[in-house]
Amino acid sequence: MKKIINRPEDYVNEMLEGLYVAHPDLITYTNDDLRCLVTARKKPGKVGIATGGGSGHLPLFLGYVGEGMLDGCSVGDVFQSPSAEQMAAVTREIDDGAGVLYIYGNYNGDIFNFDMAAEMVDFEDGIRVESVVAGEDVASAGPSAPGEKNTRRGVAGILFVFKCAGGAAAAMLDLDEVKRVAEKAAANVRTMGVALTPCTVPRVGEPGFSIGEDEMEIGMGIHGEAGIRRGKIEPANQIAEEMLDKIVADLPYQSGDEVAVLINGLGATPLDEQYIVTRQVNKYLEAKGIKVYRYYVGEYATALEMAGVSISLLKLDDELKKYLDAPAKTPFFVS
Amino acid sequence: MKAKEFTGLFERFSKVMEENRRYLIQLDSVVGDGDLGLTMDDGFKAAYRAVRDSEENDIGKLLYGAGKAMSVAVPSTMGTLMASGWMQAGKAFRGADEIQIDQMADIFAAYLEGVAGRGKAKPGEKTFLDGLAPAVDAMKEALENGKNAVEVAEAASEGAAQGFRNTTTMIAVHGRAATRGAASRELEDPGAAVAMLMMQAYRDWVRDTHDCLPC
Repeated sequence: MKKIINRPEDYVNEMLEGLYVAHPDLITYTNDDLRCLVTARKKPGKVGIATGGGSGHLPLFLGYVGEGMLDGCSVGDVFQSPSAEQMAAVTREIDDGAGVLYIYGNYNGDIFNFDMAAEMVDFEDGIRVESVVAGEDVASAGPSAPGEKNTRRGVAGILFVFKCAGGAAAAMLDLDEVKRVAEKAAANVRTMGVALTPCTVPRVGEPGFSIGEDEMEIGMGIHGEAGIRRGKIEPANQIAEEMLDKIVADLPYQSGDEVAVLINGLGATPLDEQYIVTRQVNKYLEAKGIKVYRYYVGEYATALEMAGVSISLLKLDDELKKYLDAPAKTPFFVS
Repeated sequence: MKAKEFTGLFERFSKVMEENRRYLIQLDSVVGDGDLGLTMDDGFKAAYRAVRDSEENDIGKLLYGAGKAMSVAVPSTMGTLMASGWMQAGKAFRGADEIQIDQMADIFAAYLEGVAGRGKAKPGEKTFLDGLAPAVDAMKEALENGKNAVEVAEAASEGAAQGFRNTTTMIAVHGRAATRGAASRELEDPGAAVAMLMMQAYRDWVRDTHDCLPC
């Protein structure tokens, strides 16, 4: 393990201390717990939006708390859910009478704890909570039938759900409406990734799996969950095309559609390579007659020092465009 | 049975998880991420400490508090499920200052309900429920047949052990094991092993504390 850290057990709290030092105008914490992160710019009467999840994915999840996106985030150990108590503390702090929307990724640990937190604040404080669970990784499972449980993992595409819901909440829509917008964004986003190297959880000290020097794994999850194909590494254009074939066919995204595109680095892939992928994504979508409204390129959801990229598409309508464009200011996202 | 007497039972739960830490890690390494032994040891320890240190006379509040302590200590998937079991048992017995030993079957039934509700699962899906559900059924049957507390606890332990063994006939539908589809069938479910260990601990505690019944 080669990391710039102090003691592995201090990894998460020291990372948080650094963030509070760097962004005092945007974020703070509640309940005397560094891991109960909340906005420093509370807007009266607004629906609160909270997320949460394990550490190791910066800027996800906490990096989107501030103004115009999220209001709070409970922070777990690396790749571990925070506790329901922490989620409940964040909820109490960000509720201003309009209720709170939880938006988080589709992982059992997070689901169970957010459900428990929602029951706790309902029972103990009378706060109304609604939840939207994002799961858009097309490589992680097949599509679910209407009414059936979505079994797909949530990955980088949750950024779009945060942004659209955040815009709707900032426009002072009520809880049901903010939830509707979040669900619409979640239903129209699809992601797929590729990994070139594994990642090491600091307290474990060694990679949880290995990928050969000349290999890649298409569809790997952001905690190293198995993908759909492991093989020899290929040129960027072919990698991008294989992922886009799966993504585009899944929704499906069709000629005439307008999309926002997120090219996301997983932690150790240079921006140069991300833009090489962006170039090919643009060619591919152009050929399909899919119009790109806006690109987001960079690190938005990482897996520690994993090398690789993910591609996310969000199909837009006028409403989603409006909320995507709405102003936001957070440590890692400004629009 | 009063609130104070639960300390001994929770100590047993804590001890059995500590003793079987490696066993659970081994089982979980096959199907999950291998940390089950650690989370169950830490989680049941936290529940035990909460019960031991509590001044609470209300059995419902005591059990709810044990669940809450567990959820803070181990917010993992299985930790939160076990916490939900205690919290549901707590809700079911809120306001009770004293219960009869026979009502332990209702406590475990509420626990089962709490876990099933949180995990949105049912028996037959290769989970913890497949260990605890047969134990609760066996307890109820033994009670109907007029068995004493020790016999009921022995039936619970046997039921859970049988349930655990039966998980090798089931296909997983939850968690990482589910990604293996039909290939998951022959695997032993680590969650059901936790239920088996809980019921072993319960049996041993009843043997220690109620052996002279019905005298």
